[in-house]
Amino acid sequence: MKSIISLSLIVSVILLTVISCGDDEQAIEIITDKFDRQEMLIDWADLIIIPAYEAYNSSLTTLVDKKNVFITASTDDNLESLRAAYIDAYKSWQRVSMFDIGKAEEIKLRNYTNIFPTDIEAINHNISSQVYNLDLPSNYDAQGFPAIDYLLYGIADKDADINVALSKSKTLEYLSELITKLHRQSDEVLSDWKSTYRATFINNSGASATASVDKMVNDYIFYYEKFFRAGKVGIPAGVFSGSPIADAVEAPYSNIYTKELFFVAFNAVQDFYAGRSFDGNTQGESLQSYLNYMQEQNNTTDISTKISDQWTIAASAADLLSESFQDQVNTDNILMLNTYDQLQKTIILLKVDMLQALNIQVDFVDADGD
Amino acid sequence: MMKRTKFGFLACYCAFLMVSCSNNLDINTNIENPTAYSFERDGVSTVSFSGQSTRIGMATELVEAMLDFDSTESLLLEMYTNETATGGDADPFSNPEYNESTKSVKSKVAASQDFFSSNTTESAIIKAEIQSWVTDQVTEVFSNENVLAEVGVAGQIADGTSVRYVNAQGLEYNQAVAKSLIGALMIDQICNNYLSPAILDAGNNVIGNDSGVVDGNNSYTTMEHKWDEAYGYLFGAATDTSNPLATLGEGVFLNKYLSRVNDDADFEGIASDIFEAFKLGRAAIVSGNYGVRDEQAEIIREQLSVVIAVRAVYYLQQGKRALDNNDYGAAFHDLSEGYGFVYSLRFIRKMESPDSYFTQSEVEEFLTTLTGGNGFWDIKASTLDEMSETIASKFNFTVAQAAE
Repeated sequence: MKSIISLSLIVSVILLTVISCGDDEQAIEIITDKFDRQEMLIDWADLIIIPAYEAYNSSLTTLVDKKNVFITASTDDNLESLRAAYIDAYKSWQRVSMFDIGKAEEIKLRNYTNIFPTDIEAINHNISSQVYNLDLPSNYDAQGFPAIDYLLYGIADKDADINVALSKSKTLEYLSELITKLHRQSDEVLSDWKSTYRATFINNSGASATASVDKMVNDYIFYYEKFFRAGKVGIPAGVFSGSPIADAVEAPYSNIYTKELFFVAFNAVQDFYAGRSFDGNTQGESLQSYLNYMQEQNNTTDISTKISDQWTIAASAADLLSESFQDQVNTDNILMLNTYDQLQKTIILLKVDMLQALNIQVDFVDADGD
Repeated sequence: MMKRTKFGFLACYCAFLMVSCSNNLDINTNIENPTAYSFERDGVSTVSFSGQSTRIGMATELVEAMLDFDSTESLLLEMYTNETATGGDADPFSNPEYNESTKSVKSKVAASQDFFSSNTTESAIIKAEIQSWVTDQVTEVFSNENVLAEVGVAGQIADGTSVRYVNAQGLEYNQAVAKSLIGALMIDQICNNYLSPAILDAGNNVIGNDSGVVDGNNSYTTMEHKWDEAYGYLFGAATDTSNPLATLGEGVFLNKYLSRVNDDADFEGIASDIFEAFKLGRAAIVSGNYGVRDEQAEIIREQLSVVIAVRAVYYLQQGKRALDNNDYGAAFHDLSEGYGFVYSLRFIRKMESPDSYFTQSEVEEFLTTLTGGNGFWDIKASTLDEMSETIASKFNFTVAQAAE
């Protein structure tokens, strides 16, 4: 559920700010924001978003190929190549998941791609009945990477038996459909960016609730809070339930890739913030440079360094984790909780301090849970 | 905001301050006001509202079962009526105590003394309307479990990563039932039944209470019990019913939404105001001070009315914002909750008046506006704003204050 903070709250915040300035202190003069938002949008689109989608899409092209090879010849070697292509694509996904804007938002790309934990019962039912509609919201958790992870690594108890189980025609058909759908949706989003959406995105360069910067920043923080911080770490660590839920980690069946997936996502989060290009060769305008600009203009505290410093601390905390977050939760959950705490510490900086500095309103609140 | 009641409460609060300096005994009124909702006679608690806790529990099971696609129509109806279609004994609940009970949700829907004892026509319509939503959930929504909802077609729709199941107009019947019961069952029983002198003072209640005559084998007087029954419909699901503010918001009905309104800075303290009024009113009954009792009843009526009205406006506004973002799933969920709270407006009670804030026809018009035609699919932002304004204008709060 999204909602916009009401005007009255904003007014009261402003009032509060005015009051806190006091009579006898020098009132802080807010200098007009002359930062070139459009330049930042162009850099986001050309240096980060579109290259990331291109890489994602090409990783899925490979995945489709490897899947087809496996269907033709279900050898163990071909299964291994298929698995490698799957992990590769899953990692590429981590670099686009946060861009829930434009076509991706419209077709609810993330919901169809990476809702976990996956619903094994629903998957098996879909496979055996062969009657299902993958477009239904109730099938979000029966498709995408989490479902593929189950099919490639969890469909039989022993790894040696997986090839046989997977090679049954109904199962192969389902796997094939899941992979094809990922590719189809990725294609759709990428071609939309390349044909029309880039122009829409960069030309909507104002400052309002519906402007590209405001929307993108909200999507970014929402992703960070819900899908990155909570989904990858908080929920399995039991932050919201009181006790750990080891099965709720990302990719629990392959098991050994959770940390890797986490760090790709974490790097993507930090790169977007700092404006680092997808190829790593350049640095464009970004939230960080925008913050630096505003801090310099208004002579206010250095938020931008605080944010990146806190992420460095969080990364060190996450470094200590096992390759398998599932194992980590089961053996020493304290380290998971500590990682969560360090990630959590940037929420206030991002959601309050940064948004205030950039004069962006939060457009989402936590659903009230009913 | 609500100057009158605040003032009334302020007076009570001052009284309370004096009380606290004198062993909880108000020197003016002789009322001993405890700090918790806890009253005893000869060392035995006199507080009892098990019937209310039972009905809250039954209603909770009903609304949960409305989202379980294995539920049959007859099971859901039995949960509503606690009897079989032919009037026989039914055991639809998972809690065996509810199955043994002869009470039911339906029998207390729109069943208050003040509003419905001589308006059984409307009472029957309301009872049947809520029942029809229970039935329609199975016939319209369950049957379209695996269909994508669209204009005029029931089915499922995404709200973020959640799935909502809506009818052809976008309404979630389970939400309509849950939120309408807050008004039709809980508010109606509290405000228009148990807090009413018609109930509190019925028969020999006053003489009995004055002379401490207990009700049969129980430890309480009838009047004490009636007041507690009102309290139970609000706080009956709390972990510690003598101190419900400590864990405010438990359960899925009125207590939960009192907590939500209390969390809004514009209405902060409303939960404590209501709790204190319940407690002082009960203490006044023990002291035989019926003037103070009735003043507290008025405070409770007014404040609970505010809770329902604020929540109705809140959800209409949330729905409007989600529609602005083309987020139909989120919008329909909010509007479905809003629909139930608007339905509940029929039961809220004006202070010192025999009337509801809204007449049957006013509420009916709101509801028709919301779900008429294609319903939520093509409702306009301006319509939701107008409705919000109309509701808020009867109270001392603004749409913006409620919408946060």
